[in-house]
Amino acid sequence: MRVIVLALAAMFLMSAGALTAQAHHSFAVHYIPDKEIDVTGVVKDFHFANPHGVIFFDVVGDDGEAVTWKGETNSPNLLKRRGWSNKSLQPGDKITVHGWPARDGKPMLRVGYVKKADGTILRGQSSAEGIKGLD
Amino acid sequence: MSLTGAALAAAMVLATPAVAEVPRKDGHPDLSGFYNFTRIDEEAPAAKALIAKVPEGAVFMKDGGAYEFPPNEYGGLKPKPDVLAEARKWSPQQELEVQNICKKPSVIYAIQGPFPMEITQGRDMIVMQMEYFDMVRVIFMDGRDHPPADAPHSLLGHSIGHWEGDELVVDTTHLEPATITNNGLNHSEDAHFIERFRLSDDGQTLYSTEYIEDPTNLENTGYRLMAWKKHPGEHIFPYECDPFAYQEDE
Repeated sequence: MRVIVLALAAMFLMSAGALTAQAHHSFAVHYIPDKEIDVTGVVKDFHFANPHGVIFFDVVGDDGEAVTWKGETNSPNLLKRRGWSNKSLQPGDKITVHGWPARDGKPMLRVGYVKKADGTILRGQSSAEGIKGLD
Repeated sequence: MSLTGAALAAAMVLATPAVAEVPRKDGHPDLSGFYNFTRIDEEAPAAKALIAKVPEGAVFMKDGGAYEFPPNEYGGLKPKPDVLAEARKWSPQQELEVQNICKKPSVIYAIQGPFPMEITQGRDMIVMQMEYFDMVRVIFMDGRDHPPADAPHSLLGHSIGHWEGDELVVDTTHLEPATITNNGLNHSEDAHFIERFRLSDDGQTLYSTEYIEDPTNLENTGYRLMAWKKHPGEHIFPYECDPFAYQEDE
């Protein structure tokens, strides 16, 4: 499994302005706000529905076995205003999801952004909502 | 003034940027428009003016917008012992259960989230269309009172409003019990919700204080502060919650 754990820069935390922030669906309760990861895989399914969108994507581990990860997005209503649609991700798309991992160790993360194979970036959680975000 | 001088003066007037101000309608600020959540500035003059009018003793619940309190924290609200015991049974996993994912809140929680709303202001009625859960509020401005206490309750409750200077005061009762903080603490059907809305001097940011008292469930009172930025030309999207969003298709 190609999971790159990134050390969180203190400067970024300061700029995020909310060290212990949660989000709707209790972001910091479900996810680790002080840890960011990149997970690369292939889209299986994409549910662009409220209250939160979910990207299902397969990640092949070192043992050759595929594990299905879930990437939870903000409300699709917020993302539509940032250019997302229900067609932004299609089964078979190779993606790298950057975000915050689930506290319970399950293969799930909160989506900061999605990078597609063609370099397109889909921005997810934003500090504009008054919580921890990537911009 | 010479012709050239007059032309220069006219050009200067045309080049001066228009100063935005609070639009007015029927002698009151016109709150009509589309607003989206924006960062909450407690020091903004409009915010300070509203906070100054919050009833004494109310605690400031700083979870306006997307921020939510962790388990067992209620922003300074003091639940009655039996209510607190019930609230402590809450676990974060419960909100991901199918029966809870799309559970609609009352206006007390719905109005404090990071979602847009569109206001249409009439003389006798103000309509607030909230994107969150497609909730549409009607605020009666025609001088009527609340219905009798035993009238049906709902998640939107019954709202009556009036103007105090340039501030809209909205008084809501008849609320169906629902969450206050989205982490186990609920208000009762006796909750009383008072909002004060005020536009910034440039008319571009709408602030509100949201005061809650509920002597059945709470030992004290509290309030939130919210802020929305005006976005002309935008409109509300449907919410259409899907309780199966987290379940992979078969």
